[in-house]
Amino acid sequence: MAAATEELQFLGSIPGPEGAGEVDGAVAEEGRPRGGDNEEILRFMDSVDGYLLLMDSLSSALRQGWLDLASARHSMGPSRVSSTLFDHKEQSAATKLQVVDRDGLKPSEPKPHFALSKWSLQEECHSTYDVSERAFTEPKMRHRGSVTTPENGNYESANTTASSTGADASNHVQRARSKALSVFGGLVSPKLRTAQLSFETALDLIVELANSRSNMLASFSQLKE
Amino acid sequence: MAGRANIPTNSSALIAIIADEDTVTGFLLAGVGNVDLRKKTNYLIVDNKTTVKQIEDAFKEFTSREDIAIVLISQYVANMIRFLVDGYNKPVPAILEIPSKDHPYDPAHDSVLSRVKYLFSAESVASDRR
Repeated sequence: MAAATEELQFLGSIPGPEGAGEVDGAVAEEGRPRGGDNEEILRFMDSVDGYLLLMDSLSSALRQGWLDLASARHSMGPSRVSSTLFDHKEQSAATKLQVVDRDGLKPSEPKPHFALSKWSLQEECHSTYDVSERAFTEPKMRHRGSVTTPENGNYESANTTASSTGADASNHVQRARSKALSVFGGLVSPKLRTAQLSFETALDLIVELANSRSNMLASFSQLKE
Repeated sequence: MAGRANIPTNSSALIAIIADEDTVTGFLLAGVGNVDLRKKTNYLIVDNKTTVKQIEDAFKEFTSREDIAIVLISQYVANMIRFLVDGYNKPVPAILEIPSKDHPYDPAHDSVLSRVKYLFSAESVASDRR
């Protein structure tokens, strides 16, 4: 990281620490705190590094997905795994995004944040989370195997509710996945199912990439100024 | 506030895709496919019969729709409309260039990294040091 900062200083766009060495507290000639510049540079370099790492992970996930898709096509036949089967009737996407505007470092700087809502699970996820949260924030020790004491009664019922809600969410996801697969017929190759999971992983990475891009551009705007 | 790009909070935005058949098929399997009342989809399958004009029109349409938050575009397709992709600078929808089966990701062509690359120029620094 220090080497990267040194390289940026060579470019002349970022003033080096040598010039401000006389001033303790490192205030630049322009009056900006030096530490703030370095911090911003580091944030920017981190976001670029994160972006490239995520892109590498995405490439791997996509490669796995393409391989599984090719295997499914080989076992089911090319006509059964084809874009001609796509239904053009009105349908709503089951996996969507939530976009929230988080202010960048300056009020004039937009910084969107993306979150993925897979298989229309937003409402179910919130309810599952709330119940689970209540269950685990109660100030009680977990007693493994001990289900008869009154203190554990509340914990047991909350835990049962959480697990049943979790089971509902899981069933919902399975149904949604099966519906997406049904485009290709009733019986599909297991490879098509694994391809579906690979592309779901790719979607998670894509949302992280979008957030990383947002952070990178916000840091870059700050550095340009 | 003057000069601030407004990003409306959206709790159900779509992901648009401009890519080859396998990539689009995979993401549709993951549940991102959407067809509205006017039979408009949020994806474009690019093959050897797809013209550059069709790709341009799809890109312009997806980047102007308010219900789309991310546009995924295969990098080799983005190279066909590079001037449009590089000229795009809105925060939403976010444009992400992704690899395709036959064309691995090349960071040198990524529009986001191209925008910030002048801060790096490691090659010019290395050549100065020699």
